[in-house]
Amino acid sequence: MSRSTSRAILIPLASVALVFLAWALIIRLFAVDSFVAPSPLEALGAVREDWGVLWPLALRTLEETVYGFAAGAALGFVLAVLMSQARLVRDLVYPVLVGSQAVPIIAIAAPLVILLGFGILPKIVIVAWIVFFPVAVSVLDGLARVDGDLLALARAMGGSRWRVFRVIRLPATVGPLFSGLKIGATYAVTGAVIGELVASTGGSLAGYQRQANSSLDTAAVWGSTLLMTAIGIGWFLLVVGAERLATPWRTRSTRRRLGFGASRRTTTDPGDAP
Amino acid sequence: MAATTPKLVVERASRAFDDAPALAPTSLAVAAGEFVSLVGPSGCGKSTLFNVVSGLLAPDAGRVLIDGADATGRPGSVGYMLQKDLLAPWRTVLGNIVLGAALTRGVTAADRAEAAALAVRHGLGGYLDHYPHALSGGMRQRVALLRTLATGRDLLLLDEPFGALDAQTRLGMQRWLLEVRAQTGSTVLFITHDVDEAIFLSDRILVMGPRPGAIVDELAVDLPRPRTLAMATAPAAVEAKRRILATLHGEAAT
Ligand SMILES: Nc1ncnc2c1ncn2[C@@H]1O[C@H](COP(=O)(O)OP(=O)(O)OP(=O)(O)O)[C@@H](O)[C@H]1O
Ligand SMILES: [Mg+2]
Repeated sequence: MSRSTSRAILIPLASVALVFLAWALIIRLFAVDSFVAPSPLEALGAVREDWGVLWPLALRTLEETVYGFAAGAALGFVLAVLMSQARLVRDLVYPVLVGSQAVPIIAIAAPLVILLGFGILPKIVIVAWIVFFPVAVSVLDGLARVDGDLLALARAMGGSRWRVFRVIRLPATVGPLFSGLKIGATYAVTGAVIGELVASTGGSLAGYQRQANSSLDTAAVWGSTLLMTAIGIGWFLLVVGAERLATPWRTRSTRRRLGFGASRRTTTDPGDAP
Repeated sequence: MAATTPKLVVERASRAFDDAPALAPTSLAVAAGEFVSLVGPSGCGKSTLFNVVSGLLAPDAGRVLIDGADATGRPGSVGYMLQKDLLAPWRTVLGNIVLGAALTRGVTAADRAEAAALAVRHGLGGYLDHYPHALSGGMRQRVALLRTLATGRDLLLLDEPFGALDAQTRLGMQRWLLEVRAQTGSTVLFITHDVDEAIFLSDRILVMGPRPGAIVDELAVDLPRPRTLAMATAPAAVEAKRRILATLHGEAAT
């Protein structure tokens, strides 16, 4: 492992450890009773104890998050592209975009559940509702920021409107797209949990937590919260990883070449000869 | 007769922006293989003239003929390069060189091979897989020029291509450009603010007056090729410089 990679892993781990340490100290220092608030060890212990129940629930929450995220990202991206193509579309859609985010998500969750039932669908819609906005705004911004001179050059080279879009504008949105996705990633789990809370029929992380709450099992309440947070962080890290793969020019100075392709090229390349 | 058809003819092309003329009716002809520079005060319409020639901008009046065929307002028949390298950051050096193919018909293996050969021939062979951000300004301009060459157009419009480089790098780039052109035989129309650069590179220099620009003087640079740095002090170069500065600044230069 290179030094920078170990730094990139160790330092965030240390900051997580610090948060847990501070939590433990506060509990100890103020002598908080464990039925009021558990220590981190108690909360983690509750997760471990109930792991058999919690694991499938966590998977379900993750499933809602991933589907909603994908739907929201796709919707946001397509909206941004459409809006960038025609002024009329942009002026028509933008107020709706902003309005959608002004609607308190908690308030809209209950009607959505009535409308879409108690299955996974309303959760997906709520997550997508949250995620599409930062994606649409970032991509729209990215499309507007493409250097006008580069677009002019592309046209001077004989590029048709469609080709210029595909070869210049579209790739230029990848960076902004991930900015939007990263913002959406952390909120996405919140959306899924809100959906679960409103449509609480048990069989969900939020339902589990509500049940623990009513039986005053604070360790399980905090433990399930930790689990939700972990899902959010994990999803965020996945998006960051995908970003690194999708935008190699941001972190690398050369394109990665796989094995033989590279050696074949360099042997036919006198420029590389020593 | 094809042999005597000029590469480029501009016939009384003019252009205004918001009713304010930016380019006065301008005519010029450039022979195939010729290197012609355009100098003139800032804002006189040099880039506007290039935009008209490239077909990006339709002139209000006048025509542009390339190889004798009307190309007015029709982009796609010249190679164009600006002061900004305008490389796509997500494409490697090789990917940027084949941009023209990507924009017109899709990149083939042959395009890649040709682009790689071009890069190798002109000293960029070791950088094919580099992303532009990992290159120096001079290198990036080289890639930009090779991208222009790779489009296969033999009329190149270079708008202050070295304007953003330091003096040392610029000198290297000028010699490199002359080498490249000696091999490709391209016709070049070149904008610069640097009179020495214009003299070092050109067969002929056109001097434009202030906005709305028109060509006010034209002189041949009577120096042999290949050019050397020592020629900067040759009588023909000194006289050309004196005359251009006098035209530009309305006084005899010392
Ligand atoms: N798209 C445009 N809309 C309005 N005015 C323009 C436009 N393009 C150029 N102009 C104006 O036309 C004039 C000529 O511009 P141009 O860019 O051709 O000058 P230039 O000779 O290239 O100057 P420089 O040497 O500074 O690059 C300038 O006054 C400029 O402000
Ligand atoms: Mg200009």
